[in-house]
Amino acid sequence: MTTLPKWLSDHRDTTELAAMLSLASSRSLETLAAESRAMTLRRFGRTMTLYAPLYLSNYCSSGCAYCGFASDRKMPRHRLEADDIRRELAAMKKLGISDILLLTGERTAAADFDYLQRSIAIAAEEMPRVSVEAFPMSVSEYRALADCGCTGITIYQETYNRERYETLHRWGPKKDFLARLETPARALEGGIKTVGLGVLLGLSNPVEDALSLYRHVRHLGRTYWRAGMSVSFPRMRPQTGGYEPPFPVDDLLLARIIFAFRIALPDTELVLSTRESATFRDGMAGLGITRMSIESRTTVGGYCESENEEHKEGTDKGQFEISDDRTAKEFCAALRRQNIEPVFKNWELSYNGPSSSITLEIQREEEQPCH
Amino acid sequence: MDSLQIGSYAFSSRLILGTGKFSNATVMVEAVRASGAQLVTVALRRFNREQAEDDLFGPLSAIEGITLMPNTSGASTAAEAVRAAHIARELSGSPFIKVEIHPNPQHLMPDPIETYEASRILAKEGFLVMPYIAADPVLAKRLEEVGCASVMPLGSAIGSGQGLATSEMLNIIIRESGIPVIVDAGLRSPSEAAHAMEMGCEAVLVNSAVAVAGNPPAMAEAFAEAVAAGRKAFRAGLMQKSGFAVATSPLTSFLGTR
Repeated sequence: MTTLPKWLSDHRDTTELAAMLSLASSRSLETLAAESRAMTLRRFGRTMTLYAPLYLSNYCSSGCAYCGFASDRKMPRHRLEADDIRRELAAMKKLGISDILLLTGERTAAADFDYLQRSIAIAAEEMPRVSVEAFPMSVSEYRALADCGCTGITIYQETYNRERYETLHRWGPKKDFLARLETPARALEGGIKTVGLGVLLGLSNPVEDALSLYRHVRHLGRTYWRAGMSVSFPRMRPQTGGYEPPFPVDDLLLARIIFAFRIALPDTELVLSTRESATFRDGMAGLGITRMSIESRTTVGGYCESENEEHKEGTDKGQFEISDDRTAKEFCAALRRQNIEPVFKNWELSYNGPSSSITLEIQREEEQPCH
Repeated sequence: MDSLQIGSYAFSSRLILGTGKFSNATVMVEAVRASGAQLVTVALRRFNREQAEDDLFGPLSAIEGITLMPNTSGASTAAEAVRAAHIARELSGSPFIKVEIHPNPQHLMPDPIETYEASRILAKEGFLVMPYIAADPVLAKRLEEVGCASVMPLGSAIGSGQGLATSEMLNIIIRESGIPVIVDAGLRSPSEAAHAMEMGCEAVLVNSAVAVAGNPPAMAEAFAEAVAAGRKAFRAGLMQKSGFAVATSPLTSFLGTR
């Protein structure tokens, strides 16, 4: 068994965070909330950046015990073809969306690297910011994605507890704990600008997972100083496979984790998806979260389906159930009532491409051997 | 008349306002008006031609009497900043470009090497280049040499509200500079803006302190008054500071006087 990287057990970094996460913490939840709110306001102002997921394919080769798309689930499988993607993009643009996250399952013949790369290229024609949540790739594959307009990747470790991880990921490429752990580093090495990290709360001890997640963020920040980073807080919801989370996380603990992360990482984007309820999302908006998904569909082809209401019946089940099902308009109105500006576009196409610098390129040229 | 001169442009207001972080475009526009700012910066990435409600450029261009200075916030390399500057000039028609290159999107510290390179290229192309930099006196002179219209050293980290933490370096930059020095970033209160003006800055740029204030337009006005007061004080000539009482001359009386 290969050994775990040293940073994963580096406790020096996490003393303060551990104290905040402890339920016996001397700081009350209310104190943490006040501090978190002040830090969020100072660094991010009264704004919330918005994105939406676009499911390209629900084919999958892995057997994650908790996932509605796992390869042993009996369900119709499909992928979007180029024209479908264009239609979905058009439907999303009508909602105002300009920042999207493309999703697939683990690598399969139906949805492989070439398919993903083609899909990104199509999306990048329409959207200034395109991120990807798919399967782990090699450095050169990530470089190719960056070249065709991929700004960021999201890759959750799900849990940093290796034993739990190996039990939950029953088969398939995702079973390799270390390979997944090293994926964000490979993406940054390949010139991807931002990485989104997270744990799937509910799978394992949430406080231990939160501390490991923090160590991962700090480790990447030290190693790749240009890296943009975001942290998400997905919490297990009832899945189509009927999986019951063994370590359920209640609202109070989730709020505590978010506040503690804001205080420990004042400059990092913190993300909350539509897995969470409208009440919880509205409440967390000014208090620490700076990026949210809107009007999400977790089915393949979901945006066009909801335009054509008659197709709604008999559609697939998504990867997980949406809790906040408000429309983009309703959601933005709720933000505005709180004096927070919804921001749809916060990126420029001209900032895409691999993050190489002029001076580094000059240095590289100079290093070429002379003939 | 005492005006801020940048290139061939003259501004009677020495307060430059940033437009990010506001709760909505209406409050932002009110704050701009209340500040009396004539030069206003806006991030190219917040231009949204497809959705008017999400666009900052539209509401700003409707304000009379201001000049827009697009910025390249979000760029992490010189190449990206140069591309962004071209697009910004095309969309806004403004000759000003605030070069803002922060390769680390967490702390937003400006990259001196990429900023120098982008500024050199853009100045050559005829832009009025306003680079956002760390308070580095040597870098400031290097940027002046390549034709920048001003330098914009930070008072402290963006959005930190730590005020003029770099004042020692700012003093050197101001003393040595042949182009306007504009303090950008870190100011929290109007008194800090007044202090920067008393030090001899030609202008200050404020964003967070106004945007996240309880009443942004009122805070914008307060900054405008502080900047005007600080400038007036600078022009009037501040009394010399001394750390010692100098009533008599016990140390040098042995030298005799006349």
